[in-house]
Amino acid sequence: MNTRTHRRSVITGIGVVAPNGTGAGAFWKQTQEGVSVLDLVTREGCENLPLRVAGEVREFDPVALIEERYLVQTDRFTHFAMAAADLALDDARLGRADYEDAPFSVGVVTAAGSGGGEFGQRELQRLWGQGSRFVGPYQSIAWFYAASTGQISIRGGFKGPCAVVASDEAGGLDALMHAARSIRRGTGAVVVGAAEAPLAPYSVVCQLGYEDLSTCEDPTRAYRPFTADACGFAPAEGGAMLVVEEEAAARDRGARVRAELAGHAATFTGASRWEQSREGLARAIEGALREAQCAPEEIDVVFADALGVPSADRAEALAIADALGAHGRRVPVTAPKTGTGRAYCGAPVLDTSAAVLAMEHGLIPPTPNVFDVCHDIDVVTGRARPTELRTALVLSRGLMGSNSALVLRRPTDTPG
Amino acid sequence: MTDRLTYAELAALMKNGAGITVDPSEMESRPGSAFEEYGLDSLGLLGIVAALENRYGRPLPADADRCRTPAEFLDLVNSNLVTGV
Repeated sequence: MNTRTHRRSVITGIGVVAPNGTGAGAFWKQTQEGVSVLDLVTREGCENLPLRVAGEVREFDPVALIEERYLVQTDRFTHFAMAAADLALDDARLGRADYEDAPFSVGVVTAAGSGGGEFGQRELQRLWGQGSRFVGPYQSIAWFYAASTGQISIRGGFKGPCAVVASDEAGGLDALMHAARSIRRGTGAVVVGAAEAPLAPYSVVCQLGYEDLSTCEDPTRAYRPFTADACGFAPAEGGAMLVVEEEAAARDRGARVRAELAGHAATFTGASRWEQSREGLARAIEGALREAQCAPEEIDVVFADALGVPSADRAEALAIADALGAHGRRVPVTAPKTGTGRAYCGAPVLDTSAAVLAMEHGLIPPTPNVFDVCHDIDVVTGRARPTELRTALVLSRGLMGSNSALVLRRPTDTPG
Repeated sequence: MTDRLTYAELAALMKNGAGITVDPSEMESRPGSAFEEYGLDSLGLLGIVAALENRYGRPLPADADRCRTPAEFLDLVNSNLVTGV
């Protein structure tokens, strides 16, 4: 810990573009009701591929939300990120007037796993179909996984520290940590998060190589982590962007402080080495608790990574027990992403959003499609569980071996 | 297709290639205004050059994508078409 930890980072705005809704309100309603929107894949060109079930973002009209130049110059994953950033800024009531005199005080951090697959595929088809002279110049920036950070920064006029985290799905949590680090160093606010658009033919074909991908054809059975029938994960589109601010500055401008980013740690244990992820994830949890100065017993809810691969689920259940001790068998564990699919880097940011909303509502959302848990953890199934929530732990692992943990705390002055 | 590139055609190229909507008569009446003022960046102009080269089946001068204003660009393209280099 360093001497600058008094510059605390707090979440003041949540912007969600998810398969189960756009906007934090719609997302939370579906999430707390345990609605599953996993369905057969209908995205153009993907209908006949071996991936049958996924979480598609269907109620999203980019034309209504994004200026034409960005529609033409950027990919769907950036459209999601831009729309989510707008929602987060609106939610935080952080407008241009608040920062136009100090544009260097606002930064942008995103994480991305796959970049702009749909845009990239179109241009590569032109390359091999017509020749290099027919590839549009915006290909050079649109398919790059860093595109969303750059375009959000340009579009919003944010000139503060900008970054892209490339650390697998867990990058979504690592991005939040990166934002907190920027704030410790003096940045006032960071627009941070991740959104993905992996449901384009080229991107789906890339994912077919993952042995952890579920190819089950039944939307109610495709993604059932922590059960004996776990058969892999269903992917998803979308994600979330948050506004993270330095606490004192946020309070000075009258912003609503939603939660504190209290602690984070990350480890790496290698691709598809799920057994080893037990120790990696436990170490990440311990590190996050240490930074948050939080005892294991203070954790009121765990938002699990919940990969849906038996060895990975076992490793996660054991890691929770290793890091939290006896409390690990009592603490409620939930994985609302079983109702939407895993949006890669977007998934842990959606979980962070759900955790903040859960603390605000005193309600742990359930784990859709999961009923018969075969591990020694208390998974919240069926319906949401009302309970006082002060501290939440969010976990994320990547298929390539990243493990990450984040401790969130409800602000101390929150009424009720 | 006309022989000479017009402001209307340039506006259409800007819209298709870069998503920039601009009134051709405004471009024509403000010859000093730069592409940048209409929101077209260097990648956007590069795309327009490539689209025209594909359309005409021959290269434009190497400095075509460095033209600052629409007026300068139309002059360069049209004089190039006339001389047929």
